[in-house]
Amino acid sequence: MRRYRESTGEVAERSERSRWRAATLTDRAAIGYGLLVVGLVAVSYVLGAVGWLPDDPSRMDMARLNAPPGAGHLLGTDFLGRDILSRLIVGIQAYFLPGLLAVAISLALGITGAPAIASIIAGKIQFLRQKSFIEAAHVLGLPTRVIVAKHILWYNCAPLLIIQATLGMGEAILVETSLSYLGFGVQEPTASWGNMVQAGANYFFHGKFWPSTAPALAILGTILGFHLLGDGLNRLLEPKSAS
Amino acid sequence: MNRLSRIAPLLLTLALLATVPSVSPAAPKNDGRPDGGALAYGEYGRPATLDPITSNEMISLRISELVFNGLVGIDEKQVIVPELAERWETSKDGRTYTFFLRKDVRWHPREGEAPKPFTADDVIFTYNIMMHPKTITPLKVRYEFIDKVEKADDATVRFTLKRPILNALAKFSFKIIPAHGPANPQFLTREDPFVRAPIGTGPYVVKGVTGDREIVLMANEDYFKGRAHINKFVSRPFADQNIMTQAMMFNAIDMLVLVNPRDLPELQGDTRFVLQPYNALSYAFFGYTLRNPLLADKRVRRAFTHAVNRQEMLDSFFNGQGTIISGPFAPGSWAYNLDVHLKGIGVGVKVEFKEWQAWKEAVFVEHDFDVILASWVFDDSADISSLFHSAEIGAWKNNFGGYSNPEVDGLIVESKLTLDHEKRRTINRKLHTLLADEAPYTFLWTLTNYSGYHKKLRRVAIHPYKFFSFADEWFIPVTEQK
Amino acid sequence: MAARELALTALLLLGVSLVVFVILNLSPGDPFSVLLEGQAPGHAARASVHEALGVPTTWYGRYLAWLGNIARGNLGTSIRTGVPVAGEIARAGPNTLYLTLGSLLVTLLLAVPVALYSASRAAGALARGLRLAVYLVSAVPVFWLGYVVIYLFIHRFGVFPLLSGSAEPARHGWLYGLLPIVVLGVANGTVSEVTRHLRGELGRVLTEDYIRTARAKGAPVWRHAFKEGFLLPMTEMIASKIPFVIGGAIIVEQVFNWPGLGRMVWQAAQDRDFPVIMGIALVAAAFVRLASLLRAVIYAGVNPRTATD
Repeated sequence: MRRYRESTGEVAERSERSRWRAATLTDRAAIGYGLLVVGLVAVSYVLGAVGWLPDDPSRMDMARLNAPPGAGHLLGTDFLGRDILSRLIVGIQAYFLPGLLAVAISLALGITGAPAIASIIAGKIQFLRQKSFIEAAHVLGLPTRVIVAKHILWYNCAPLLIIQATLGMGEAILVETSLSYLGFGVQEPTASWGNMVQAGANYFFHGKFWPSTAPALAILGTILGFHLLGDGLNRLLEPKSAS
Repeated sequence: MNRLSRIAPLLLTLALLATVPSVSPAAPKNDGRPDGGALAYGEYGRPATLDPITSNEMISLRISELVFNGLVGIDEKQVIVPELAERWETSKDGRTYTFFLRKDVRWHPREGEAPKPFTADDVIFTYNIMMHPKTITPLKVRYEFIDKVEKADDATVRFTLKRPILNALAKFSFKIIPAHGPANPQFLTREDPFVRAPIGTGPYVVKGVTGDREIVLMANEDYFKGRAHINKFVSRPFADQNIMTQAMMFNAIDMLVLVNPRDLPELQGDTRFVLQPYNALSYAFFGYTLRNPLLADKRVRRAFTHAVNRQEMLDSFFNGQGTIISGPFAPGSWAYNLDVHLKGIGVGVKVEFKEWQAWKEAVFVEHDFDVILASWVFDDSADISSLFHSAEIGAWKNNFGGYSNPEVDGLIVESKLTLDHEKRRTINRKLHTLLADEAPYTFLWTLTNYSGYHKKLRRVAIHPYKFFSFADEWFIPVTEQK
Repeated sequence: MAARELALTALLLLGVSLVVFVILNLSPGDPFSVLLEGQAPGHAARASVHEALGVPTTWYGRYLAWLGNIARGNLGTSIRTGVPVAGEIARAGPNTLYLTLGSLLVTLLLAVPVALYSASRAAGALARGLRLAVYLVSAVPVFWLGYVVIYLFIHRFGVFPLLSGSAEPARHGWLYGLLPIVVLGVANGTVSEVTRHLRGELGRVLTEDYIRTARAKGAPVWRHAFKEGFLLPMTEMIASKIPFVIGGAIIVEQVFNWPGLGRMVWQAAQDRDFPVIMGIALVAAAFVRLASLLRAVIYAGVNPRTATD
């Protein structure tokens, strides 16, 4: 049963706890993993900002270039012998705040009408306006503004906004890493996951897979986390088995 | 001719006899080496233009070396040899150079046209179009020493210099283009069709560009030094250096003009390939800005120099492919002075990278740095020492560190004005010692460039800067031509 | 309606061109310095370049000059190569079109079956596994996947899988042309979202009243569900994901040596070759706009009342 058909919003007011209980194990795992990733990213961001790192991310260890994970360097070293783990942590600086900002701006714009998210929401509003329940609300005398704000935007789009926020963060990581990979984003020696993959890739065909694979896996794991979190929350907030 | 110095003089004479008669049709080299086969070489990026005047990067320069000739050439031993000019005379005051041109040279024919002969008009045309204010070319500044050029007859041109200069002859190696080449005979821009489909006198003819943006060159049957052995050259552009090396490993290309140092071990261990070193006139250095009061103290700069373990850096980053230097005159140039040799002790150095355009702004305009790591690359005629002259301080000028020393200024001017090789060498040695002591730069190393190629290519001689100067002599044994 | 859309498109393109131009002018580096690259920099030489080319000295002067050319249907010529930009785009454009549309198709071939299957069997273990797989692949960075794929081809199959790198047409050489398309299709980062959106919409539509009614009457459900639950979200996703596919194409073209617009714009960005960058930006923006117009048309077709609103 869809929420927008409860004019009183019963389903919307169902307690969060009962929803969590209703969620499947898969959803819980997805959300759990997503929260873990978000937590790790946030903590690492703070660690990087205050400079509390396992090693100096710009210190070169000439004796150990492109080293695999091991003692001393938990995630190995890059082509200049720099600690990969420290650089991964510091690399979060490159997308964290810009990403949040981009998501915030696009969400704000989304309400008033601008690309990506906006077009989805606008499309949805267009579409929903034709629906019988909205017409019913019109007939009942509710002003259009209220209908749009409450019944269309909030009930229908709140989950959408949350999903878009998590996906937006994923996209921000994608954009930042791609730009840095191409050499137009964050420049060496400042670490970014994109320029780390790029620098490591120079040694990929020599059989030194690790220096590029480590940041690639970081990108993969993080984007996956954001996506799974968004998806899980989506299904939690919009349970289909309610009826 | 001296260019063929490695082979028997007898063969040499035969080759000359075969090529000198002016109406002889397609003349093979007759040197006992087979014609045929094709060579595909990889380049990182695409050339901007294919003519020798507007082009200003190495990829274009290498191609124009295959397509064009100069009045004089430079052989494998760095000796000046005749090319389009068969001989020359220099006036006693060193201000007049008269070139007597070959009469048997013809331009590459265009589709459906008969080949036109090369004459003195082409030389004068080339000089004029090069110096025209609306022609944008980095060559212009190098030829400002020429006062005027006149045609004596169809096969004789006379250059008058503003003042006599040292090594003037070498500067007449600039490539000659045909008067009937460019659509606009006044000045040459990159919008002229000539820059994309040039015709020259050289051993290879530009055939066209494929859909994959490869440039295809075919042997010039009519080449005045005898037809080049290898039928076809293909310049293949790559957008990723690692992939380019892999293309070499998988025989998708036969040659890399410049092997990335980090890929050297991979090619080294492979018996299919030859790695051939050629010394580019380049050096890497740390440059200090003297605008920083700390770095203005030469003791600090010298301490920096001592602290840098250059050998270790060279070994780690470039697999030891280079030579540590102490001053601006690279080994390979006669000015190198081995007396002052500095040895470092191991201290880490933080290397910064900046996107190229941003780097240039920061270094040359804003002077926004303390220390930079960079390298200069020179062609044959560059004037290295002026980099430290105090007149070169300012926006977009070469003395970006703001180094100023009257003694150095004096030596630089003195070196420039002298016409005596021996005297100039003494001055340069003094300059070298002084700069090593003053340390406006920490001279790091000159890198040895390596070309890698399939061993089916034989008799490969490489010019350290222009690369393909001797490519008409390269050959592929019949059994390996496929 | 059409006139309004056209005007909007023109306005959008104008805005894009202005923004790109301003960004290019804010970034360090003189686009004309590429002409003197290789010569030690000199101030006088630089000034003379501008003078010889007759380039306006102010940035807005340059922009207006560029705009004037555009108005006359001239995209200008590349600073670096002197080649007309329109011709270059016409040459390289089809390659990129082939790459982007092909990879979009791959994305859909991956996403649609998974979405359909899991919409009909939301709770199945296989559906969950498939969804996780889809999420996993679409989080793979495309620049890394390209290297992995090439490495595998070289070391597992002993072939060098690049079209432009093969000395002669290899056997099954055309297959190598598919490789970058598949790589970009899998790893452009949009598979998961397309799947999720499609599944969500399809699932929603399937629970709608009229579908239930149709089902109760025994009518085939899929035809009803097709328009709203499939066609709309599909066009929606294609329209909104095209920018990401184009972005991915820039990277894939580098790695696979693909002679398209992506390689062109990458080189141009390094040289600050603004006529080329602007030309390609315009084409890309027009392409994106076209996709969203197409979306609007399909929306109007499915639900005619939106068109009159």
